Amino acid sequence: MTLVDTTAKGQGETISFEFDLRHVPHKVWRALTDPALLAQWLLPVADFALEQGKAFTFRRPPIGGWDGTVHCRMLEIEEHRKLSYIWRAGDFVDTVLTFTLTPTIAGTRLSLVQSGFAQKQNAGGARYGWKLMGANLIELLDRIP
Amino acid sequence: MPSAAVAEDRIFQALGDRSRRAIFESLMRGEAAVKDLTARFDISQPAVSQHLATLKGAGLVKGRREGRCVYYRVEPRGMKPLLDWIEHYRAFWPERMARLERLLDEMGE
Repeated sequence: MTLVDTTAKGQGETISFEFDLRHVPHKVWRALTDPALLAQWLLPVADFALEQGKAFTFRRPPIGGWDGTVHCRMLEIEEHRKLSYIWRAGDFVDTVLTFTLTPTIAGTRLSLVQSGFAQKQNAGGARYGWKLMGANLIELLDRIP
Repeated sequence: MPSAAVAEDRIFQALGDRSRRAIFESLMRGEAAVKDLTARFDISQPAVSQHLATLKGAGLVKGRREGRCVYYRVEPRGMKPLLDWIEHYRAFWPERMARLERLLDEMGE
């Protein structure tokens, strides 16, 4: 597998990767959409269904101040091509996760984009968002010894 | 030294308030005393002091006394737990993708 980190430099709000897999898209799609398979490579999942608007949750052991639950909501389903859902963890990570499958001679190019780390906080809410990831903060962090 | 969870909670709480965010962002432009901040925002001096105490408790700002004045500035290291979130995912996905590939190898067509 070749893995390319395609995240743009200096971009604080999106992380993206591309993976070349030697398996056909319909098989990769199964791994992305079958709860039993998801549990094997990603995380145990509850209430997962390929229905737009469907809420489901992944669970992992608690970490830091977060109970380990990832709250998701299905956004876009294009069979064997694209899967997109909200990925919300704790008060702070409110992102959209998108998998895109492109057939290649060798198998599938799988692109993964997690975006929205820098979303503006909702008014008055506890979600702060990532606008402080802007130039000011980066510059300050560069000065940390 | 508070645990990582407590430290994160304090940061999230401190930054969960709009006025405190405004004060914090204002301090990112440079050091300021309470009276400077009171002049910049439509908030009373005791309220500004209270917000600064919360930000300080979360490790996001530091104070420096000079005569009768305390000057506050941003403590950049205080933001580290937040940046760790992104780093968590940057490390998370390649590891999960390696697992996905192993699984695909084991699956029938």
